[in-house]
This record gives sequence, structure tokens and C-alpha cells, in this order.
Amino acid sequence: MPPALQATGITKRFPGVLANDHVDFDLQSGEIHGLLGENGAGKSTLMNILYGLYQPDEGTISIVGTPTRFSSPHDAIAQGIGMVHQHFMLVPPLTVTENIILGQESLQPATQFLGQLSALDRRSAAQRIRELSHQYRLDVDPDAHVKDLPVGAQQRVEIVKALYRRAEILILDEPTAVLTPQEADELFVIMRELVKQGKSIVFITHKLREMFAVTDRISVMRGGKMVGTTTPKQATSEMLAEMMVGRQVILQIDKQAAQPGDVILRVGNLQVQDDRHATTVHDVSFEVRAGEILGIAGVQGNGQRELVEALTGLRPVSGGHVALLDHDTTHATPRQITEFGTGHVPEDRHKHGLVLTFPVRDNLVLCTYYESPFARGVEIDEAHIENEAQKLVKEFDIRTPSTGTLVGSLSGGNQQKVIVARELDRPVKLLIVNQPTRGLDVGSIEFIHRRIVEARDRHTAVLLVSAELDEIMSLSDRIAVMYKGRILDTLNAPDATREQLGLLMAGVKGGAHV
Amino acid sequence: MSNLAAERAARTDGRATLLRTLDVLSMPALAMFLGFLGGAIIIWITSGSLETVGAAYAGLINGAFFKQRGFSETLVAMTPYVFLGLGLAIGFKAGLFNIGVEGQFYIGAISAVWAGVAFPGLPAIIHLPLVILAGALGGALWAGIPGFLKARTGAHEVITTMMMNYIAFRLAEFVVSLPLRDPLSTAVQTLRVSPNAELWSLWQIPERLADPLNALGVALFCALCAFVIVRWLAPHARRVVVGGIVFATGAIAFIALPPLVKVWWLFDDQYDRLHIGIILALVAAAVVWWLMYKTTLGFEMRTVGANPNAARYAGINISRNIIVTMAISGALAGIAGTIEVLGVSICRCLPLFFSSGYGFDSIALALLAKNNPIGIVGGAFLWGAMRNGADLMELNSGVSKYIISLIQGLVLLFVAAPAVVRYLLRMRAPSKTEAEAPLTRGWG
Repeated sequence: MPPALQATGITKRFPGVLANDHVDFDLQSGEIHGLLGENGAGKSTLMNILYGLYQPDEGTISIVGTPTRFSSPHDAIAQGIGMVHQHFMLVPPLTVTENIILGQESLQPATQFLGQLSALDRRSAAQRIRELSHQYRLDVDPDAHVKDLPVGAQQRVEIVKALYRRAEILILDEPTAVLTPQEADELFVIMRELVKQGKSIVFITHKLREMFAVTDRISVMRGGKMVGTTTPKQATSEMLAEMMVGRQVILQIDKQAAQPGDVILRVGNLQVQDDRHATTVHDVSFEVRAGEILGIAGVQGNGQRELVEALTGLRPVSGGHVALLDHDTTHATPRQITEFGTGHVPEDRHKHGLVLTFPVRDNLVLCTYYESPFARGVEIDEAHIENEAQKLVKEFDIRTPSTGTLVGSLSGGNQQKVIVARELDRPVKLLIVNQPTRGLDVGSIEFIHRRIVEARDRHTAVLLVSAELDEIMSLSDRIAVMYKGRILDTLNAPDATREQLGLLMAGVKGGAHV
Repeated sequence: MSNLAAERAARTDGRATLLRTLDVLSMPALAMFLGFLGGAIIIWITSGSLETVGAAYAGLINGAFFKQRGFSETLVAMTPYVFLGLGLAIGFKAGLFNIGVEGQFYIGAISAVWAGVAFPGLPAIIHLPLVILAGALGGALWAGIPGFLKARTGAHEVITTMMMNYIAFRLAEFVVSLPLRDPLSTAVQTLRVSPNAELWSLWQIPERLADPLNALGVALFCALCAFVIVRWLAPHARRVVVGGIVFATGAIAFIALPPLVKVWWLFDDQYDRLHIGIILALVAAAVVWWLMYKTTLGFEMRTVGANPNAARYAGINISRNIIVTMAISGALAGIAGTIEVLGVSICRCLPLFFSSGYGFDSIALALLAKNNPIGIVGGAFLWGAMRNGADLMELNSGVSKYIISLIQGLVLLFVAAPAVVRYLLRMRAPSKTEAEAPLTRGWG
């Protein structure tokens, strides 16, 4: 039997970049084929070609042995290809049914003569959704409003949406990035069920563990080329990492036991509101000591962002207090907090961390441009800034053609290195890092993790916030789990297990749901 | 990341630099070209003959450069455009759309007239800087109010500055008709400013410099310029050397200039309105460039404009920055008004119906120049030439001079919509990383 999907010799050039270089990829019917690769390896380009968003410069695609061409996603959908994007394409106020039929509305036969004004046939659509949900055990309620659904359920709605359009092949783009470990496991069960009933799945991820948990075959891309295909039985984590990066990678950070010193940051009964004035941080208290890493684990959106913004002066505190060393910084400005010795690697490097239209060198002094030696009086001292930039580019291995290159044209990993370099170069007493490696490649993650541990060993207090459980577990000395704005529990990292943390992240403590 | 990727980044960087340079230089030129082409088509359609197009553009060029005093008049018209364009550019760089420069121009004019009338008998060395300062302060205050409102309440500056414009127009009418009205004149206009507060016309310079105090003022100005140039060319020169050069320049200017201009001075046409404002305009462009790119304040303003979230993260006080930026922007507009009153208006006073239209033209100018101070000087020259040549164009070809506004509007359209130009000229779009920086943000 011919493969469900076969792409041969796919080549795609963008100005100055060869994004796909004669890539061969095949998906057998009824298998889960994992696709692994760093950012910029060409995974997304390949998937966008398979989904009809891009047209390949060379190469052919065949569906069950029949050569075909997609000029738009519409063609791909018609040929039975469905894609679940990393960022859901759902309209929150609408119901599940409305979201699913959006763009494919079926009309009530009695009113069809009215053309655009005909009534929607929601009932038969809902009925089909119920059937699909039942058939693949997706547990989707067609009448629920999407905004009321948890993230995992929204993802299942996306899957139903693809199935509703009669997809035989599903492309899942980093589907676990927004899930708790338990939710991810549930997703894997669903994926298994889908292939058992004859669907085929392309599963994109950068988490090696998940490759072993669910796939039948694993393909690795690097630098626009397909490096190789293997099976979970034959592969090891080290081997896959090496295939991705092209060199040996140390996956587990080597670190000594922490030697906690004085309390640097003390947070007591902190309350913070989000932009809509809903309290999203409730009564949070903790301490971070010099020379230790306190990890804050939790699924995204449980108040971590507001917590970090409050600690760094970007968001007003509505209750409780924050003390940094011996200063009360509850209502301090971002600059005061920086000047007391805080480094902050923000969650969103494009929104807060960098000015993308500025060159690398200006971004490297973004927080210190006004201080000697970078400024003399009112004037900026470009020579000193350039020296500093040269030094940091070398020290932090920032791959940039020059210090005058616009930061926006660097890769994500190098952009993040610019921020880390800037924040660690100062003599900081407290380092707050929020999602420091989101979306980065394995090589950059390794580098940034090492720097964070080095900062700890230099007696910096580190507050690490991350939704990646692996990151939290490999770096932290103590782990606090945040759920719905509260810290449910704080564990010693060496004693904490993945299961224990996963349950806390889902709000289950001591066997009871909070 | 592999070496390959670094190489790729190097290539894209080279490409980006090239595209950026091309974008900075070629897009405005192409927009100008398309603007004139569009103007030609419209003249052709409305007049029905290609000859009219030729006659109109020949008249425009003739009027702008070649008729008697044509070139000086272009420079005269260019001067306020430079100041206003710089004011708008500073705002745009910091993410603010100061649409109220016209009003600030008026307030600057009023303040300058008041300062010029209120202190008769002051020597020019004090009075002239004083009136310019008064104009700058008036404009700064007028723009600072919307700045304060935005910083404090988030009121959008496009709305508030526009409303401030109307207040300014009516306030100017009030001041002209009542407190500062010249009772002896039949026309409704303000009192004439003291002769020492006037901006010197170029033909007046020999007689002005005959006064030693004026010569001293000019010498001080030359010394200051020398100081800046020496600091720029040799930043690490010893203090003694710098001091020596500066002192020597000042001394030579003081001793040699007055007799020199007395025997050798090209400008003796008493009807030529060209005045020293053009020199001030060039100085202002240099100062604004320095402010934007070489000072911590400029760094802050550009950061706030490029990414306000990152600016907040970096500890920059955004509210203060908005107010300061608006004040500087308004100060430049105020100086433009000052110069119009003190250097150009025949009565050296503010008449009723002192309508300029400079402010609104300047918005298109700042966009055309991509907020680059050097570009603004070049663009202001073009704008001045068009404004100045329009009369002869109308006379020679019968094409209404308002076609100029139409051409400027088309230029603005093409500048604001580079995609249209690229489509019309079949150019390739720049890479994604080189996304166009928004000129101003929305109504948030």
C-alpha cells in the first residue's frame, strides 16, 4: 500500500535562505511520525508546504500514491490534510459548533433559497461533532463556549475541527507546549486512538521525551535537510539531540548542591491584579536566598506573568509586600529595582526584552545606557558601548555578523543570549528569569542553562519561572508550584517527582482537587 | 547554531543594510517621482493638453529657482519647513503624532511678538535670543499640555493637539485684535517688534555688524560652532588646544568680519527677503540629529517610540518622556512661527489672517524624510521650492497652484504606502525581519 503522504525532493528557497533542501518525508497510513528539529531547521516550512501555505520550488507531493499540487490550504483540506496549529485558531465567544463550522457552514435546506441570508444548520453539525467526539473519545461538548474550556479541551476542539473536515492526515504542531504533563499524556492516548482508527499523524515537538512516548518513527531535520529517520526503539535521547544539533550535547546540567546564603528576595502575602483588574496572584509568600535557584512551576496563565511583573515593578502590587535585600520594593519603579541589583530576563523577549529595530549593541546596554561609562553627562559614549558589546558578544557567544546588526534579524537563540548577556553582565544579586528558553534550540538551551547555574554558583539568588517541567526539574534547588494564582506547595528539587509536580500543576494536592 | 547559520545571518545582514539604505534613499525619491507623475496626469486630464503639463512644470522650476530672487525665496520658504519637519520627526521617533504644529507655530509667533514688543531698547545680542526663546517656550507649552494630558490620562495626542490648534487660532485673533493691536495701523495687526528683535535679512548684515555688540554676538556664535566642530573632529584634544582654537575663531570673527562684509558682501538687494533664519534652521537640524542619536534623552525617546514595553522594562519613565518629547517638538514649531514673524512678515508683526499652512504640509514632509534630520533639510528644500514656484506656474500655465498640495498629497500617499510603490514599480518586498516601522501607533 502506498504511504498516506509522500513528499519527495522538496526544495524551498527564501531570499538568502535555503529553507528546505531536497527533503524526503513519508507518512505511512496509521502511524504517528514524529518530526524533530531546532528552530529554523525547516520543519515549519515543510509542514506549511504540506498544508498548502507555501508552494515548493522543486519536489513532488503524493497522497496515497497520487501526485498532487496544493495551491492553498483549501486544496490540502480537500485532500484530507488537517493541521492543528500551536496557537489555536478559535473564536473564544463562539460555541464549539460555531467554531467548527466556521467557513464551512451548512445551511438549513428550507431556507437555502435565501442565499447568504439562509439559516445555519447548527443542529446537524452539532450531531456530527457529537458522533466524532464519541468515535475518537475526544470528549468535546458541541454546545460549550470555547472561552469556558480549558486549554486541553480547546486543543481537542481543534482536532475535531480537522476531523469534521474529513481529515485523514493530521499535522500537530508542538501540541504539548501549552499542556500539563497529565494533559499531554491524555493527548497521547487520543493520538493512539486516532491512528488505531486509521488516521495518520505528523507530530512536531522539540521535547525528546515525547518522541519516545508516542511515535512510531522519528525524523530529524537540521539546516533545511532531512538528517535521518529512526524508530524510538533504536534511538536514544543523546543520539537524537546530536542529530538535531550536529554535535554532542549535554542534556543533563551538572550542578553541585546549592549553598544557600542570606535571604535576597522576600515576598509576603503578595496580591496582584491582571489587566482586567481580576486578582491573579493570591496571597503568595516565598523567599529566595543567595546561591539558590527557586523554580516556579505551573501551567502558563496561572499568575506567573503577573507575579514576575509585580516583582520587577512593571505591574502595581495590590496587597502584601516585597523586600529586596533590605529595601522595600513593593511599589518601586523598574529602574529602582534594577539599581538595587536585579537582573530580569522577561517572558516575552520581543515584547519586553528587546527593541527589535535597534542594533545588537544598543540592546546590550538597554538598562544601563545612562550610566558611566556608557554615558558622559547627557551624551552617549558610543566607543564604550561598542567595547562592551564586543566583549559580551564574544563572552556569550552571540552569533551576529556585527554589533551593528539589528537584533530583529538574529535567530531566537541569539536574541535570548543578548538579553541574558545584558542581565548577567551587571553585578546582580537577584536574577529573575521567566521562560528563559522558550522556543529555543537545544544548543542555546544548554548554553543558557549553564549560565543560570553559573550565576547561582557566584552567589546570585535566582528565581526561575518556567512552564517546562524538564527545565524546572533540572535547574531548581527548590520548586514551588503555582496554580490559579496561589503557591500550592514548595518541594525540595531532589525529592520531587514528575508525577507529584504534574498533579500539583493540575491543582491536586494531597489527593484532593483545590 | 552552526557556522552556516552565522554566515546566513551575515548575508541577511548585508542584505538588510543594503535594503535599508535603498529604502532610506530610494523610496522617498521614487515617491517624489510618482507624485509628480500623478500631478502631470491630473494636469493633462483636466487641461486636455500635454503642453500645459510642460508649461506648468517649467513654470514651477522657473519660479522656484531661476526667476529674480527665486532661489532666495525658496530658501525663505524652506526655513519654517525645516523647523516644523524636525518637530514632527522628533515626535514620530518617540511614537507621538504631533498634528498640532500649526497651532504651536501660531503660539510661537504670538509669544515672539510679545517679547519683541515688550522690551524696547534691549540690544540685539540679548533681545534676539530672547524672542527666539520666547517663541520656543510658547510652542513648548502649547505642545506640552497635550503631552501632559497623554501622560496623565492617556488622551490621544492627535485629538488634543488638533483641538489645541483651534484654541491657538482664536487666541491669535484675540491677541492681534486687542492686547497687542497696533492702534495706529488701519490693518488689524499687532505692534511692530523692536528693530533689535528682528531677524536680520542677509542684505542688512554689513550695517548690523557695524554695531560692535552685534559683532560680538556673531563672534560668540562662531566660537560656539568652532567648539562643536573641534569636539566632533578631535574628541580627545587637550583643553588648552580646544580653548585656543575657539578663542581664536571668536576673536577673528569679531575683528575681521565687520570690515570684511563692509567691502565684500554679495547680498545688496533690499527686496531680497532671505534672512539668517536659514542658518538657524541648519543648526537646528544638526542639534536635533545630535539629540536623537547621541544623547541619553534621544536613546530614551527612540526606545519609547520603537517599543514602549521594552522602554518600561528598561526603567525609562514613559510619562516624562512623552511630555519632554512633545515640548521639544512644540518648541521647534514655535521657533518656526517666531522666524516667520521676525524675519519674513513685511510689518515685522503678526497680522490678522496670518495663515501659514506650513504645519500641515510639514506632516507630509516628515514622513517623506523618514524622520531623518538630514532628509528633512532636503525635503524642506523641495517643499519650499514647490511652494515658491507655484505662483509662476499658475501665471504661466493657468494651472491652479493648489496642484502643489495635490502632488504633496500623492507623495505622502506613496511614502505612507511603500507597498503601492513597490507594486507600481514591480519591486521586491524587503525581508520579513525588515518590517516597516510604523510611523505612529494607533488610537490606543
